[in-house]
Amino acid sequence: PCPRQVRSYYVDWRMLRDVKRRKMAYEYADERLRINAIRKNSILPRELQEVADKEIAALPRDSCPARIRNRCVITSRPRGVKRRWRLSRIVFRHFADHAQMSGVQRAMW
Amino acid sequence: KDKSAASKDGTPEGASKRQEDGTETPKQQLLDIIGDMKVEVSYRKKLEQLKGRERKKQALKKLEGLDDESYVPQGTTEDTQRHKPLNPELVKAASAVASSLPRNKKETESELLAQLRRHEETTDKQKKGGTINIRNVISEMTVKRQTPAQRGARISSHISLQLDEDGQRTRPERSSAQSVASTRSLKVGKRLNIFTKASGEPEHALKTVSSPTIWDLEFAKEVAAVTAQPPRNGFEEMIQWTKEGILWEFPIDNEVGMEDDGEFHEHIFLDKHLEGFPKEGPIRHFMELVICGLSKNPYLTVKQKVEHIEWFQKYFEEKKELLQEI
Repeated sequence: PCPRQVRSYYVDWRMLRDVKRRKMAYEYADERLRINAIRKNSILPRELQEVADKEIAALPRDSCPARIRNRCVITSRPRGVKRRWRLSRIVFRHFADHAQMSGVQRAMW
Repeated sequence: KDKSAASKDGTPEGASKRQEDGTETPKQQLLDIIGDMKVEVSYRKKLEQLKGRERKKQALKKLEGLDDESYVPQGTTEDTQRHKPLNPELVKAASAVASSLPRNKKETESELLAQLRRHEETTDKQKKGGTINIRNVISEMTVKRQTPAQRGARISSHISLQLDEDGQRTRPERSSAQSVASTRSLKVGKRLNIFTKASGEPEHALKTVSSPTIWDLEFAKEVAAVTAQPPRNGFEEMIQWTKEGILWEFPIDNEVGMEDDGEFHEHIFLDKHLEGFPKEGPIRHFMELVICGLSKNPYLTVKQKVEHIEWFQKYFEEKKELLQEI
């Protein structure tokens, strides 16, 4: 009954890993924020900041937001992804040409 | 099932022949007799026929040996008083079957004979070209054996709430019976006691289930889907959109969906949470900066801000020994 392709799995394992990293980053976001607030400080003593350094390094690696890669949602392409649509350039062109992107038109001037 | 309509005169002769034949068991006689019976046209009659045959077959399965064919039941006198005298062979066969059954013999006897009577009645009427009066037939039907099945069917139909395709099978039967009944007066005729007893049970069965049942919800959804007409004009379309949430409600309310988790003073004046910290020193300085930042943050709830401050409190308490060294 659905006109589009039904995707019940992630496109590939890299996409799955990216999803896991995003979830972990969400969980540890608050803690990272607070520890970083202690670290990036000129008021608190340096020893405290060093302790905070060690603590943040001890957190799981996947909780770091820097490890998240904005992949294409449809094809899981890591490069050429426009942030507004979360699509890779190829998929974006495909949809835009088939008039499936609202408000997107071929440029001509 | 579909057998040619044999004349009734043929059956007694055939039956008598078979009875003389000693090798043929009475079981086969009965089967022959049943097989030679006339074909009923309507579906209801077929149902009754099937039921009768099933019962007889069940009786036959339990049959070990016929006891006495000469056993004259009390029902025969009643039968003879009614419309037509039944075929004596059939009567004997019925009595034999009834006597073999472990249950109440007279009851089964009377029921079987009533069935036979009905068959004959309907076949006579078909011969004469008369219409089948369902009402009479229903009135003659015994109540005991059929109500459990009816009750079961009614309970299941209540729970399942069949509509459309399924309902076309069950509903028109009832409607036809009701339409026939409406032509006659309601008070006339003996009471069937179908609805007084049986209607009580399904309601009890329903109430044991949590109300509203899933089937009720599905029914409601179906009704809503069927009754929902497409919008006739732009106004109705906009009403529909507003109900769905696509269109905002006018006059526009800027604070739709925003929950007021705390007053502005709870967001800004967070000094009261700073009571656990030392009054002087770098930590206090640090915490005041934290509070300044939180008070300017419009995206966090009061609860989240308080959680931040509490976390810092816990952290600094753990690090107290470290701080003493410094």
